[in-house]
Amino acid sequence: MKGSCLCGAVVFEAEAPAGGLHIGLCACRSCRKAHAAPFNAYAAVPRENFRWLRGKDSVQTYASSPGKNRHFCSICGSQLVAEHPGEPDLLLRVALLDEDPGTRPVERIFCSQEVPWLASEGDIKRFDEWPSGRT
Amino acid sequence: MKGSCLCGAVVYEAEAPGLLIGHCSCRTCRKAHAAPFTATARVPRDKFRWLAGADKLRAFESSPGKNRHFCSVCGSHLIAERPAEPHVILRVATLDEDPGVKPVVHIWRSHEMPWLAYEGDIKHFDEWPPGR
Repeated sequence: MKGSCLCGAVVFEAEAPAGGLHIGLCACRSCRKAHAAPFNAYAAVPRENFRWLRGKDSVQTYASSPGKNRHFCSICGSQLVAEHPGEPDLLLRVALLDEDPGTRPVERIFCSQEVPWLASEGDIKRFDEWPSGRT
Repeated sequence: MKGSCLCGAVVYEAEAPGLLIGHCSCRTCRKAHAAPFTATARVPRDKFRWLAGADKLRAFESSPGKNRHFCSVCGSHLIAERPAEPHVILRVATLDEDPGVKPVVHIWRSHEMPWLAYEGDIKHFDEWPPGR
């Protein structure tokens, strides 16, 4: 399956490991800050199952902890993948996929680092698009 | 209250009593943040200022007149704005202090992807799952 960043400069292809993508949601502080979002959706894929199809020269890297590289698009700021150079897997940012991998998130990790002002449950009004009256 | 990007190069201050926080699942936010949704809140321009790293910011115009500003060192998105509007749209997940309010609205749920479901039968762990 393919994935791409917001601006479309970077496109990648990833093949799920045997058994399908094991998707998790991570609320750790680093993911919260890197993604500027309540949580990130990740899935490990073997390095040999991943390749850049386009825009590799636009990929920029930030080491968020020693040996943990987070790669993002230098044009639009989309986080693309994360990896530890010595490890056999890459961590896909599943929200960038342009195709349904067929599996669903099974775990939420680092719930201890969730912050109250990003709660996604509880008394929240939900709208398909804009709230009524907004365009 | 203050906020900052992942690497700490960019720091801002936003004054906003009565912040109205909303989650957005639109396709553009999904792609920009590489996340199921982002958390946003409007702050009047005169209540927002960069404290450090304004020279590290990079902007991407995701639709005509809508600029999304992110840190060029680590990629964290910090605000979005339309030049003609009197407010900026804060990326609330970058706050370093609890604003004391919780999200009240969640928009563009029609754009949610089934493989990014965040409710339902999902195991919760404080940190890593056992054995990881």
